Amino acid sequence: MPNAILDPTGRTAAADESRLGGLAARPADLAGARIGLLDNTKHNALLFLTEVGELLISEHGAENVSIVETKKSFSVPIDDEIVSRYRGTCDVVVTGVGDCGSCSAAAVADGINFERAGIPAAVVLTDAFTTTGRTMAQVQGAPDYDWITTEHPMAVLTPDEVKERARRLLPEIVAAVTGQGAR
Amino acid sequence: MTTPTTTADNTVELDADAAQLAIEHCYEQGWSDGLPLVPVTRPLLEKFLGAGGRPADEVIGRMPQTGREVTVELAAINAAMAGCLPEYFPVVLAAWEALMRERATGGGGWQSTSGPAPLIIVNGPVRDRLGFNSAGGVFGPGFRPNATVARAIGLIVRNAFGIHPHELEQATQGLPGRWSICFGENEDESPWPPLADELGVPGDAVTATLLRTCEYVDNRHTSDPEQLLADFADTIGRSGSWIFKHAMVGVILCPEHAQLLAGAGYSRADVAAWLAEHSGRTTEQLARVGKDNANDMGVRFPGDAADPDTFQRTLPNGDRMLIAVAGARNAGISMVARLFADWSGTSVAVAASPGKMSA
Repeated sequence: MPNAILDPTGRTAAADESRLGGLAARPADLAGARIGLLDNTKHNALLFLTEVGELLISEHGAENVSIVETKKSFSVPIDDEIVSRYRGTCDVVVTGVGDCGSCSAAAVADGINFERAGIPAAVVLTDAFTTTGRTMAQVQGAPDYDWITTEHPMAVLTPDEVKERARRLLPEIVAAVTGQGAR
Repeated sequence: MTTPTTTADNTVELDADAAQLAIEHCYEQGWSDGLPLVPVTRPLLEKFLGAGGRPADEVIGRMPQTGREVTVELAAINAAMAGCLPEYFPVVLAAWEALMRERATGGGGWQSTSGPAPLIIVNGPVRDRLGFNSAGGVFGPGFRPNATVARAIGLIVRNAFGIHPHELEQATQGLPGRWSICFGENEDESPWPPLADELGVPGDAVTATLLRTCEYVDNRHTSDPEQLLADFADTIGRSGSWIFKHAMVGVILCPEHAQLLAGAGYSRADVAAWLAEHSGRTTEQLARVGKDNANDMGVRFPGDAADPDTFQRTLPNGDRMLIAVAGARNAGISMVARLFADWSGTSVAVAASPGKMSA
């Protein structure tokens, strides 16, 4: 009997099992909702999210933007401490914008972490990072997790173009965090 | 009729057909970086663990993004697959630790669109003992320790951290030589103390960081140290590699350039200070490429180009500029090393292999 060839990955089958039970419960609409924004530090991300927040208030009856944080490391998924601050403070979260190798994957993980904590989340990635986002969703045990995709690139857009992009994606974002979506 | 192939001492009949099947097995598992791997079995792993002298289950790296971790044993399997000899394993462990000290490897470095490569520099007698190339052609190829230690790092990232190209690894183009840049410092022909020695780690040691790319400076034209340094400064200062307020670089000097500078009285720190002061572009030059405005946090962006003659430095100062001496003493050809992020400015001692303490 020859010696077995050793596996260099350290993985076990159990590590691949799905761990996401399902999405957080969605409100029917955003009337009176408190909005949380999580900025991943990438260029134009905060401007985009700020504009989305203002539109959710002015056009969808959200009460306010109650929490805005900027990630310390765009490449690392948020921890329980950060999630718990959002859980006590807001009703839905919008986060992004994933437009780099590590931050896109991390944004998907952030969305999944929010859902696990019972907070409906809308995650925005550019279309250049679909594969890495899907891989991270699998790593996080939520292979079917869905996010909002927008055209790449975002970083080179002018402020007016960023605002236009926010307006254009608004219906998808609203659908993602309310019961209106078919997700 | 074929002649049986045996090892040098005639104890084992080499079965190349079985070896080919084992190599294909490794490809099929998705473990390979594209080149053939050495299939690793328990007896080979034990040799690596013995040479490493550290507990097999010791965790030496974590990837919070994927919930994965690297143990000494996983590192050993990957080093063996890369083609290392067991006695290289302490160098692999030191290189890994040196890289783990770099801020960028704990962030998104391995996944980045930049596709950075480890830059691994070895100091001390271990270079000669294991046969590391420090002289001609240090950026490769041709030398087993140089090629396989660097490759081992790449396989650990791929297999133990689970970062595969096109998936979690998002390099736009990557860079030539990724997972293959490891060399000894040419201590014999360097005019200065060994790099790691100057950083407080004498003897066998590894210094490493993440490299964005290398760019050569070919200057066989002057014996004036300031003209030579100005040629480096021009290359360092160009705008294409410049993303944030500052961009960090190192220089890998050939012996000829290093000796010219040292002969004129320059220490490593003097070279770094001169280059930091003179490398950069004016605001007007940067405005032409939309990079004239910088704040402390984010990327450069187009500004209003006020004060067009203001000189903006590539490097904030000469601190933490990595300066090593490597290559042959046969021409004035050096490399500007463009770093992916910053450099920790530290070196890691290579542990002596158990049983090989006496030289």
